[in-house]
Amino acid sequence: MRTAAFLGMFVLLAGLAPAQQVKWNYDKLAARASESVDVALDGALLRLAAKFLSDDDKDEAKIKKLVAGLKGVYVKTFEFKKAGEYSQADVDTFRAPLRPPDWQRIVGVHSTEDGEDVEVYIKNEGKDISGLAIIATAPRELTLVNIVGAIDLDALSELGGHFGIPEVEVEKKK
Amino acid sequence: MNLEDELRSALERREPSPDFTNRVLARVSGAPARRAARPWVRWVAALAASVLLAVGAVEYRRYQGERARSQVLLAVRIAGGKLRKAQKKVQTLHMVRRSVT
Repeated sequence: MRTAAFLGMFVLLAGLAPAQQVKWNYDKLAARASESVDVALDGALLRLAAKFLSDDDKDEAKIKKLVAGLKGVYVKTFEFKKAGEYSQADVDTFRAPLRPPDWQRIVGVHSTEDGEDVEVYIKNEGKDISGLAIIATAPRELTLVNIVGAIDLDALSELGGHFGIPEVEVEKKK
Repeated sequence: MNLEDELRSALERREPSPDFTNRVLARVSGAPARRAARPWVRWVAALAASVLLAVGAVEYRRYQGERARSQVLLAVRIAGGKLRKAQKKVQTLHMVRRSVT
């Protein structure tokens, strides 16, 4: 009886547990990278950041709205001095936690111009998106993005066209 | 007198003069007493320390907030940029397919 009650409580707590960030182990790549960018913001830091984002600045106001419901933002970028510093097996270890049924790969593109591959994964909870993961690999660069929480992909993509990144006209679904 | 005698003489036990105790007591009673700090000084010192701590905490919070803000901007720039790149590529492929058919 006690065991059943304990298990019931465990299941209940597991259901209430907040969405988790993807567990990626960067240690091997970090040792080989010549430069890296590391952004790790949990819910508390995101709420704090939101207080410091301006309402007067158009972009910052949009970002404030975008991050309002998020529980975590984690970005890691590694730059390498030469190509071939990381293998396909390394990338596979980052793909491993992004498996169905929790995760779905919605886009996978390859650019012949700069040799960059971009894979976009989403995590669904019911009809809502509860997480986003991006794996972007270029010959001398690897970027991993994990956003925990309900994210507006259109808004994020739109904001990606700012900050010096050229704006591109994207056809919206009717 | 050799060294041994000199040492013996120097270290020889001698009784103090009869008025020694009185002289010491007179000196002790005549010494100025150490004054206790006034209570308000302690309060002011405590208040000043509290204000300094509060200002430090606010400044640290502001620093953390500004740092978090710049990290959010960087994260959105990177994540949004990659997402947009994928979106653009899909869009281009879509347009190419439409033009072929």
